[in-house]
Amino acid sequence: MAERVLLLAEDDQMLASLLQYRLEREGYKVIMTYDGRAVKESLQSALPDLIVCDIMMPYLSGIELVDFVRNELNSDIPIILISSASNDENIISAFEMGANDFVAKPMSPSELLVRISREIKRHYCS
Amino acid sequence: MHLEKLENGLDSFSFTELKSNEASKLKKSFESFKNGLEEKVFGLPSDPIALPENTDAIATATPRERALVAEVSHEIRTPLNGIIGFLDLLKETSLTQEQMKLTTAMDAASKNLLELINEILEFSKLASGQEKFECVPFNIFNLVNEIAFLSKTLINEKEVQFHLNFDNNIPSILLGDPSKLSQVLLNLTGNAVKFVEKGEIRLAVNLKEINNKRAFLEFVISDTGIGIASEELKSIFDTYRQTATANAINYGGSGLGLSIVKEIIDKQNGCIAVSSALGTGTTFNVILPFKRTQISKTESGKDTPTTANPILKDKNILVVEDDPITQRLMETRLRQWGGHSYITDNAFEAIRLLEKERIDLVLLDMRLPAWDGMEIAEKIRKTFPPEVLPIIALSADVQRYENWANQKTLINDFILKPYTSEELAKKMQENIKKTIPRQDKQPATISAQKDIPSDTLVNLGPIFKECLGQKALLEELLRLFEQNILEFVGKTKMHLQSRNFQGIGFAAHKIKASLKMLRVHSLLQITEEIAAECKGNGNYDRINTLFEAFLTAYPKVEIAITREASRIKNQ
Repeated sequence: MAERVLLLAEDDQMLASLLQYRLEREGYKVIMTYDGRAVKESLQSALPDLIVCDIMMPYLSGIELVDFVRNELNSDIPIILISSASNDENIISAFEMGANDFVAKPMSPSELLVRISREIKRHYCS
Repeated sequence: MHLEKLENGLDSFSFTELKSNEASKLKKSFESFKNGLEEKVFGLPSDPIALPENTDAIATATPRERALVAEVSHEIRTPLNGIIGFLDLLKETSLTQEQMKLTTAMDAASKNLLELINEILEFSKLASGQEKFECVPFNIFNLVNEIAFLSKTLINEKEVQFHLNFDNNIPSILLGDPSKLSQVLLNLTGNAVKFVEKGEIRLAVNLKEINNKRAFLEFVISDTGIGIASEELKSIFDTYRQTATANAINYGGSGLGLSIVKEIIDKQNGCIAVSSALGTGTTFNVILPFKRTQISKTESGKDTPTTANPILKDKNILVVEDDPITQRLMETRLRQWGGHSYITDNAFEAIRLLEKERIDLVLLDMRLPAWDGMEIAEKIRKTFPPEVLPIIALSADVQRYENWANQKTLINDFILKPYTSEELAKKMQENIKKTIPRQDKQPATISAQKDIPSDTLVNLGPIFKECLGQKALLEELLRLFEQNILEFVGKTKMHLQSRNFQGIGFAAHKIKASLKMLRVHSLLQITEEIAAECKGNGNYDRINTLFEAFLTAYPKVEIAITREASRIKNQ
């Protein structure tokens, strides 16, 4: 199986580092981005196999990201959002826009790993 | 003669027979005693506005007269300390509301009087050349930071920002009198805090000139306060002068503060200047020479116990001290060193705490308002022998220090003021090491203790598990956590200034995740409240208070994290 490329968009460096370690250990190639502008730039140069994105990012909300991927890049790659308890409404709008899944903060990296591999199987192996 | 009578009278005075109208009379006589005393010492009416131009009684007095003033002030202090002490006891009896009000007023009046006498004593000592100046190595950076910290704690509810600028070219270790320097700086920043309602206070420390032997430092204390009128500015350093009566009423103080500051600076061959404009603010410039030392820079580095270094890990320290600033400073230092502090200025309370809590060491100020240090030590020794509970005495009195040799059964060790944090840390460590562990296995009770035990402050277990046991990764994450906290603090400070509540809300929301990962519930709760408060219209005061609470709580968390991390590392 080819190495899967993940785009991780998380502005909390601490969480990002932990996730990077866990994802790379699982054999993913991880592109790290820390704000909305970097996310857009990265997506415009090359599309990853999956996006994990914090719903609250500087310069770009999760909803805007989903809108950008689905409607401007016209891509259906899986998007998993990282949310926190206080943005229930945003999650619903994000799903309406076409997000695939979400994990809530405080998040367990192990749970995120399971969700990622499930989305990848669903999208690329069926 | 009179003083002895007064003292004897106080000894036999019975407060239980005191009726409220009598208490009221007593209060009045205290006030007239205070006024009379002021007149006696200064030869002035107590209304400063009616002062003739040149009546600086102390400044113009002969050395003999000054020595007399010093002696008399000292004599007055003893019975006055008695009065204050008994008032404290009186307040603990069952009083009616009216009686309580009266005793509180008496208490305030006598404390004012004590403060006045202390200042007179200090000033006359300085003026008559009795006061000796130290010449010891000290860390100027730490000292200035401590002053900045203390000044910030004085600001309380006001919308005042405190800024510190420290010139990095200043050698970190200098020779001089650190306690006198602290006194000068605290007096000036303290004044600024008093006179600024809203705005900012700046303390800048610059290197004015340096050669092989000396460094000339310039301290600039500027504020955006009410300012001083030019005609009052001329006499600002004169003895016993406070600008206009209205200020004396609003801001208290004996008016000797700046004279003392000037005297301290003059005696060290420094100079002080002031410039001010009404309504715009005031700036004090102080230039002081310090000798340079050969001690290398590394010795002043981060390994000194002044920085967070848990040398007193989990130790309970009883601090018997009455000066609120020293109390606060002690509390901060002990906390930085990982200890818990119990602070009181009352001998009975001290004994009660010793019986109730597992105290590892007592820091005893030898001069309290109502008690002599030796009396307290004797009381403590009735129950706790010196091998089990070390007592370290703190005093500026050289005589006492010399007598201490005969009192080693009561007092284990003695620290002569002024002392450095390093000295304090070293003596505390040494004395705790020497003690025999106590037999009773009863765990320390938490109830009377304000601090939450640090182990419950943070739980690194879950995140370490997510790191799959990678210690290096955990360390990296903790470093990032600290960075996140600093970022949050910085952003919140900035947004508070511009009242950008949405920005604060966003920052608070972001930091929540990190706090949850390390299970820092205390800070998490505060942060959640901040985030919730920012969702509405945002109440500045409330958010500010919460933010202050965050800043106060964080150092404890930081220590707990360091401790937990090193525990995990050594597993």
